Formats: sequence, structure tokens, C-alpha cells
Amino acid sequence: MPSAVDAVQLRGIGKRFPGVIANHDVDVTIRSGTVHALIGENGAGKSTLMKILYGVQRPDEGTITIEGREVVLKSPTEAIEAGVGMVFQHFMLADNLTVLENMVLGAEKLHGIGDGARAEIRRISDRFGFDLDPDVLVEKLGVAARQRLEIAKVLYRGARIIILDEPTAVLVPQEVDALFANLDELKDAGNSVLFISHKLDEVLAIADDITVMRRGTTVGTADPATATKHELAELMVGSELPSPETEESTVTDTVQLSLADVTLTDEFGRNLLTDLSLTIRRGEVLGIAGVEGNGQSELVETIMGMRIPTAGRIHLGAEDVTNWHTRRLREAGIGYIPEDRHRHGLLLDAPLWENRILGHQTRPPSSKGIWINRRGARQDTARIVEEYDVRAPGIDTPARALSGGNQQKLIVGREMSGDPVLLIASHPTRGVDVGAQAAIWDHIKRARRAGLAVLLISADLDELIGLSDTIQVILRGRFVGTFDPSDVTPQDLGSAMTGGQAA
Amino acid sequence: MRRLTKLSAVAAVAALALAGCGGSDSEGGSGSGSDKTAASDDVCKSADGDGPKIGLAYDVGGRGDQSFNDSAYAGLEKAVEDFDATCVEGEATDGEAESAREDRLRNMAENGAVAIVGVGFAYSESVNAVAPDFPEVNFAVIDGFDPDEDANDNVAYLGFAEEQGSFLVGVAAAQKSKTGTIGFVGGVNTELIQKFEAGYTAGAKAAKPDIKVEVQYIQESDLSGFGDPAGGKAAATGEFDKGADVVYHAAGGSGSGVFDAAVEAGEGNFAIGVDSDQYLTATDAQKPFILTSMLKRVDTATYDFAKSIDAGKPLVSYTVYDLKADGVGYSTSNKSVISDLTADIDSYKEKIISGEITVPTKP
Amino acid sequence: MTSERLRSIGLSLLAPAIAIVLSILVTTVVIAAVGSSPGDFWSTMFEVPKPRLRVDILNQTAMIYIAAVAAAIGFRMGLFNIGLEGQYTIASFAAASFAGAAYLSGLANVAAAIIVAMAVGALWSGIAGVLKTTRGVSEVISTIMLNSIAITLVGYFLNTRGVKEGNTVHTKNLEAGSTLGGFAPFEDRDGEIWALTIIAVLVGIGFWVLLNHTRFGFDLRASGQSESAALASGINPKRMILISMMLSGAVAGLIWLPALFGGARNYGTSFQAGLGFLGIAVALLGRNRPLGMLFGALLFAFLSVKSNDLTFGTDVSPSIVQITQGVAVLAVVVTYEVVRRWRTRLEQRTVSRELAGANGATS
Repeated sequence: MPSAVDAVQLRGIGKRFPGVIANHDVDVTIRSGTVHALIGENGAGKSTLMKILYGVQRPDEGTITIEGREVVLKSPTEAIEAGVGMVFQHFMLADNLTVLENMVLGAEKLHGIGDGARAEIRRISDRFGFDLDPDVLVEKLGVAARQRLEIAKVLYRGARIIILDEPTAVLVPQEVDALFANLDELKDAGNSVLFISHKLDEVLAIADDITVMRRGTTVGTADPATATKHELAELMVGSELPSPETEESTVTDTVQLSLADVTLTDEFGRNLLTDLSLTIRRGEVLGIAGVEGNGQSELVETIMGMRIPTAGRIHLGAEDVTNWHTRRLREAGIGYIPEDRHRHGLLLDAPLWENRILGHQTRPPSSKGIWINRRGARQDTARIVEEYDVRAPGIDTPARALSGGNQQKLIVGREMSGDPVLLIASHPTRGVDVGAQAAIWDHIKRARRAGLAVLLISADLDELIGLSDTIQVILRGRFVGTFDPSDVTPQDLGSAMTGGQAA
Repeated sequence: MRRLTKLSAVAAVAALALAGCGGSDSEGGSGSGSDKTAASDDVCKSADGDGPKIGLAYDVGGRGDQSFNDSAYAGLEKAVEDFDATCVEGEATDGEAESAREDRLRNMAENGAVAIVGVGFAYSESVNAVAPDFPEVNFAVIDGFDPDEDANDNVAYLGFAEEQGSFLVGVAAAQKSKTGTIGFVGGVNTELIQKFEAGYTAGAKAAKPDIKVEVQYIQESDLSGFGDPAGGKAAATGEFDKGADVVYHAAGGSGSGVFDAAVEAGEGNFAIGVDSDQYLTATDAQKPFILTSMLKRVDTATYDFAKSIDAGKPLVSYTVYDLKADGVGYSTSNKSVISDLTADIDSYKEKIISGEITVPTKP
Repeated sequence: MTSERLRSIGLSLLAPAIAIVLSILVTTVVIAAVGSSPGDFWSTMFEVPKPRLRVDILNQTAMIYIAAVAAAIGFRMGLFNIGLEGQYTIASFAAASFAGAAYLSGLANVAAAIIVAMAVGALWSGIAGVLKTTRGVSEVISTIMLNSIAITLVGYFLNTRGVKEGNTVHTKNLEAGSTLGGFAPFEDRDGEIWALTIIAVLVGIGFWVLLNHTRFGFDLRASGQSESAALASGINPKRMILISMMLSGAVAGLIWLPALFGGARNYGTSFQAGLGFLGIAVALLGRNRPLGMLFGALLFAFLSVKSNDLTFGTDVSPSIVQITQGVAVLAVVVTYEVVRRWRTRLEQRTVSRELAGANGATS
């Protein structure tokens, strides 16, 4: 039950921190015996804040008050002593040890390593409904049980304030419900929970208080009883929530890309892609929906010339490009936003202007004949940074130093330059914050209006439905259904993606 | 980037390991030198006589190689003693530049040496380059040659009649053999080593006309054949297996493998050493199996050269140290196995010296 | 911006500086541990070199630098061409044989020999390239083996086709018109800076231009930094592997040519082995940067040449500088990684600070 003294008060926290966004003027109050949700888009400064509270980072300014006492936390050990425990998104458990052994590891002094510890674990487990058997090997536990073990570990060490970093990211819906039941038990026992998430439904379901962060600072609080998802999202983004809704159709009659019965076979003779046929016209966005691993990557790599199809033809405009390699295809005007930007889209240690050249080595303004045109590339990089709002101190900054969203904006800007005729966009907004997502959608829509043909692969069904003119569903390397986004629901798509129904 | 870092770490460790090897070579040198108390004291540090100053430029391995270089040092030591001379030494490093050899010789000349000996034919070119700049200094190259047409009037090329010494150990091998088959292991199949083979075979046939000689070279051309004990052992074992019971090696550092092969072949089998008396430096296990060694008296040549300087009549041009000049020979340290053969061997020696027998230099 | 640039230069000098200090420390400890005087060692090493040594240092620097560039071409691509040794051995032999045969005369002969050397070096490394692209054989393994094969092959051809002189074999001497000699900055006897050391300058500039100003250079660096990103950008990885491997071999073919046309006149005892491995070490030391490798080559050449002085005046073996060199390489690899991480953090902090500042201004 909430008591008079607040569990945690953070006042004026500021941090100059390696990363794109520093914390400044952060104020959070966690009332005792409540679940407090901290929400914000990626890179809003949530991670920094919780690391400060857990003693991993020290704030440059501001005060931390725990249960009425002002503290300076120099390390996680001191945080635990002050009653703050944290469960990371990535579990820190030794698979080959038992629950008991994991529990006492590093906390041997508390209850010993034998029956005393076993009894304490049983007590915690029974009290909060964790259902943990001390003598089971951790490798036998499922994800949800491991998470409960992590929470139990924190309690075992005497924490009364528990930080959970995106705890539901790894759980299926039923497990989420079970976790929330556990959290209620914790609350009832007088513990406080700081719940970090960006899933607004869950936040509204479990939280007693909500604090929203944006660009490194707290921008407001909300009452879950009255707030709506939409309001929260607007607080997070700081403006009207972007929607991927496309306007009127801009599809023309000119076919830009066509695949006819394309089949790709691996070295063992198995079909990765079977008889795929599609056409994308100028001004058309074709979306590919599918559960990951059903041939999307292979399809992209085949169109991009990184793999040569075993059978079938590919035409770009009127040209037969079936046997063309990547460079020639890129020169012919294909832009490519790869699904894994770190592996396929960037040279992380190279400056931004060199990343501008990547994939455009043979074309102006990056090069002149066999020479690299440094001046041209640099000028054009400055243009992209400006037009696409890439937040970086300069074009000599290494790509690694940028946040994911800014890296992706740079890639989009690069792939849109040189007037491409076809854009292959693989998960273009994966792992980027809401602001960058909206910007990227805008760029795709604008290019579509200008007559660009787009192949869009995404796991985000809202994105697919919002941006596409047509959606194809891919399952085990075959197209199993074509949908019109104007009258399809995510449920329809989901069912086709898992082979439930073909329309 | 990551991969590169990993690779570079490997390379660095390799580089360090190489450096370590280089280091341990010289360590090993001084270490084994200390077994022989005479060699461990550096005669060039203590010598302060008023005789000629002699420079000795070693080949790779330097002093302590129990072979060539040590033998040259022994000659130097004797010369310092006999002529009241002083001396200066310099040692080659592995993979050094030609200019480093030249610099070594020039350094010695500038430091007042009047007689400079390059140990090993690798000094032929550098002596040829340096000698004209120091007309007042006399040079000698062990196993050397004049690489161009212009004769140097201050350089001596000291060669050896290895075939004659090999002839004598060939006699010993044939006489010792009970099976009628003996073996030869050469380090690298070069003209120089073929000289050893030719003399050995000729000596064996002279002693026993129907003897069979198994010949094996470790490498056709790669100089690693002189530093490959495992290869030496494999070659020698093959010959023992074919019935040979005495094997002579002319394979430098690979010789220890030949000795090991003899040990494994068991009692009644023998190996013959080369260059220096290898019985003295072999392990206790190997000693009983070393019949004799063909001696190449680099010490004699070095001493002789110093003597000629001291006498004011410097040696120049080619000199071949043969049996007559006591430049080659055979050792009798393993008395129990060689003593009953010495009379016979010595009679052949007389015949070679007198010219009654001419030893071939090509097999 | 300028202060940032200065800081960036300072940071890139930090790692080599730490590495050199570290290697001096380790060398000192090793010398002291074996009971010699580190003071003598360093005072001898740091003494201003005599004029002829200055010439030697420059000549050696040139050859080591060419080797380093050859290694760096591979490294920047993410390939570890450990076969420089074999490539320049066989290329040097081919060039010396070709030039010695005097099909052409004078400078035409030199120019043709340079082309022969590059072609042979490229073909030899190309074997490793083909094996990697068609069969997936790691270039580390194949080039090591090709080293061995090259050395054996050269030995075989030398023995069967070479000119025999004394105990040595070498290729035909160059005709007088094809020896270039060089430029003598001091007295004649102090030696000449070989004419073809100019190759090192050209190779260095060429490497810099290629890497930073050409499409090919960009492709090479991109492939080295991220194979997957390079592939997605349209670079054909197999083609790049083959070309850069052959380019590395072609440059390796040039390594010994300054010496060949400068003074050696033939491929024989004066051939300097080991430059390939030195080149790899120097490439690591200089972080594959044109200027960094120049300093590395100069340092290594200085240490190697000056080490000869150690035999006079100190009782430290010249081999000890190999420890200095080895530690320098190892230390530079380690410190560079440490500095790199530190620098990444610094950069990220700069970014966040500047952005935070910008936000503060707008909000």
C-alpha cells in the first residue's frame, strides 16, 4: 500500500553521456508500493536514467532520494544496499547452474549456500507466485521462468525498488498476463516497480503512474486511468503522431520491375524461392508480408544481384537483368535499404561522407571516372544531412557514433539520391525511433508520388498496410496471397502469413 | 577490423617468437660455450699484446655453434697466444643485408685490425667490395672465392680438400661395416656436399671394392636441409633400414638426427660426424655410436693465416688445406671403436699425401 | 575544427609512441636480465650513425617500406598475405635471371626486369588468390606453403641453371650497362643510395593515391572494413580478393630490386631474405598508413643496421634488436586497440555534447 514516503525521487538529473542523447532536468517520483511506467521512444534517455538509478552511471547533476534519504550511488552494489535492484532485458544467468546456485552466486553471505538459501528461495517463490524449484538447472527453464528468477534474485538481495527494463519484450501474451499478476503481488507487499516500456497497451494496463521522456528529459506525467494511447504517443513524439496512411493512388501503367517464375535453389538443391512472379509499376509500392525467414532476404538478394536465380527472368524496365550483378543493377538505378544496416548498409568506422559513397562508388557525385570525387561526395553528404535531418555534428563523424535512427536516415537519403527508378526497402524503420520512422515514411511517400517503384519488406503490418498499393504474402519461398491494403486487416494478413488461408 | 586485429596479434606473436629464437640462438651459444671453459672467456677482451690485431667475422650462429665458427675461434685463440696478438670479433644475424657484412668488415679495419677473416663463403662478395678500400689490411675468406675478374692482392681464399677427409672416414666406414652396406646423408644436394659424397664413396670402395653405398640428400636445394634434425633422422633411418650399418652425414645441424637414428638402430650401428669432432659435443647416449668425424680444420686455416701476417708474408689468393697441410682429417676420440682401424686409415692417408691416390671431387 | 584535427593526429600518434616506449622498456629489462649493460646498449644504438650506415639505413628503409606497402594492400582488404617472402624471392630470382640474360640492354633491360618481377610476384600471389576464391583455402595457409615452394623452386633452378662460383651458385651477373648504381652522398667508400630506392617513393605515393582517391581504393577499404556491406554495395568480393592479392604480390616483387640493380648484380649469396616478414611487421606498426609505415620502416632499418655496432663496444648480441622490433609490433597492436576504443567513446561523447548543445539552443 502506498506509504507517506516516496520510494524514489529523482530531481534535476543531468548526464553528459556517450550516446546521442544526454539526460537533463529529469524529474521522476515513484510512489511507494506502485508500478511506475517510464515510457519514451528509443534513445529518449530511458536507459541512461535507469543506469543512473542502478549506480552503473553517475549523474553529473541532480539528486537521488531513496525512501527519504538522499544517496550517492557509485556502483550497483551500493544501489542494492540502498534497496534498488534491476532486471536487465538480457538475462544474466549461468545456464549450467541450478536456480539455487544462480540465486546465491555473489550473495553467499546473505543466507548461505545451503538449506538457509533454499528456504528463502521457497519463501520468495511462494509469496509472489514465482513457481521456482531451487534445484532445477537454469538451462531447463523457459524465458518467462528465467525472468521470474531474475526478479527473485533481486528480491533475494533485499531490493524493495525493482527496475524492469522492457520486461515484456521477450514474453508471449499469456506470459505477460502472468508477469503482471506477479507485479501486483510485489506491489501488495510494499515493493515499488519501475517499469520501462514503449508498449502503450501494457503500460496502461499495469501502471499506477506514468512518466514520459523525450530527448533526454521528462516531458510530462499521465494518469493511466484517464490517458489514452494516442495522448501518450503524442507526448512521446512531441507532435502529431505520424501515420503511414497513403494518399490517393499514384500507380502508373509503366512496369518498372517484373519477376517471372523466379526460382532460387541452394547448394543442396532445395528451393529457397519457388516460381515467384511479381510486377511493380512506377509510382507503386508493393509490400511483402511474411513471417521472417520465409524467403524475404533471398528475394531481396536475388533482385539485388547478390544471388543469381536458378530459373525465371527478372526485368528492370525493358531490360533483362536476370544475370546482372549488384553494381550494374545499382548503376541502373536501384536504391537499396538493407534490413541490417550495420552489416549491409554502413562502414561503421568510416566517416559519414565515405558512407555516402558506399554503393554509389561508380556514379557522380561520388566519383569521376576511376577517381573518387571527395569534394562532390562531401557536398552531397552535407545535403543529405540537411534534407534528411541526420543529427550529427559533421560529415567527418564516424557512422558508429550516430543513433540508429540517424544512421537509417543517412542510408535512406543516400539511396534516394541519384534519382533511383526502383527502391528496395527492407524493414526501413526497424529499430528507429518514432520521429525517424515518420520522416522515413514521408520520404518513401514523396518518392512514390514522383514515380518511384518501391518494393517494401516489413514485419510491421501497419506500415505495410499504410504504405503499400498491393501486398503479397510470402510463405516458404512462395507467394500465397495478394491483398489490397484498403480492405485488409492485420488479422487477415497474419492468417495468410502462417498458412491459414490463401486469398 | 576485428579479424584484422586478430591476425595482427598472431603476426606479432610470430614476430616475437622469431625474435625469441634469434635471442635463444645467441643464448645457446654462450651457454654451451661455458661447457668448454676455454671458449667462455673471451680472448679478445683480455688480449693486450703488441702483435697484429686480428678480426674474425663469424657466419650466422656465431661462436658456440660447435662447428665452423667455434673452430675458427679456436684458431684465433691459438694465434693470439702464439703471436701476442689482439683481436676483434663480429657476428652475423640471420637474414642480414649484404651491406651489414660489409659494414662489419669495415668496422674491423677501422678499429685497427690488420688481418680480417670472414668465416664462410657468404663473405666472398663483401670482402671483395671492402678489400680495395683498405690496401694495408689483409683479408681471408674461409671456403671463399673471388667473385670478379679483378684479382685482389690482399685477399686469401682458404679452401679445404673435404673429399680427402671424407675418403678417410669412408675407409673407416667400410672397414667397420659388417653388412657390406654403408650410408651417406647430405644436407643439401649442392656441389660442395657432393664433394663429401664423392670422397666418402671412393674411400669405401678403396677399402672394400664390393661395398654398397646408400646416398640420400635431405633437400634438393633448400638450405633448410642443414638445419633439419628430423629430416636427417628420417634419411638416416631409411638407410639403416636398407641394411646400412654405418652412416656418414654432411648435413650441418641436421646431423644430430642422424646420430639419433644410429642410436635407435642399436648396437653395431654407427654414425660419422663432420666438420668438427662431434664426439666431443654429442649427448652421452649418442657418443658410443659415433665412429669418428671428418675434421675440417678451420682452426688450422685461421691460425695459418694469422701466422703468415705475423711473419710478414701474408697469404693471398687461393690456398687449399688438404691432408698434407693438416687441413682435413679424422678424429679418434671414440677410441674403443676406432682404434683397431687407425693403422689402415693412416696408410691410406699416406697414399693420398704422397699422391699415390687421387681422390675424386664429383660422385 | 583545427584543434580537433590536432587532437585526432595526437591520438593516432599515441599508440605507436606507447608501443615504442614499451619496447624500449622490455629490451632494457631483457638486457639487464642476461647480465649485460642496458646503458651501453642504448648509447651504442642511439649514437649518430656513421655516414655509410646512414646510406645503409636509407637503402634498407626503402626495401622494408616496399614490403610494408605490399603487406598493407592485403591488410586494408582484410587479407593476410604472409607470402611476401616467397613472392619477392621468386620475383627477385626471375628478375635477376631475366636481366642477367641480357635480352635487352641498358635501361630497357632494367625496365623490363621490373615488369618481370611484378608479373612473377603477382602470379605467385595470384595462386593463393585463386585458391581462396575458387576453393575457399585460407590465404594464410596457402601463402605460407607457397613461401616454401618458392624457396625450393628457386634453389632448384639456381642449382641447375645458375653460374657456379666457388662454393656458391648465382644467376648471371648483370652487364655493366644494366647496373644502375646510385647516388653517393658522402665519400665513395661509404656507399651509394641505390637508384631504385625511388621505387619506394613511387610505391608509397601510389598506395596513398590508390587508397584515398580511387574507386578501387575505396572498394578495397570497404571490403576490408565490412565484407557484407561491400557485397551489398556492389563490390564483387572474389574479384577484389584476386586483384588485391595480385597487387600485393606485384609490389612484393619489387622489394629486392633496389639492391639487385644497386650493388648485388646477381641473385646469390647477397640476396637478403626476411624482408617480407619485416614488411608485415612494419605494416602493423604503421597501421597500414603510408606515412606510418615510412616511420616504421625507418625505425626497423635503423635498429637492424645499427645493431651491427653492438658487436664492437658492447657484449650484447645484435639479435636483441629483434626483441625490440617484436615487442614494438605486439605493443602497437594492443595499444592501438585500446586507443581505438577510447577514441570511439570520445567521439560518441563529442556527438552527444554537440547535439545536446544544439537542442538546448532550440528548445
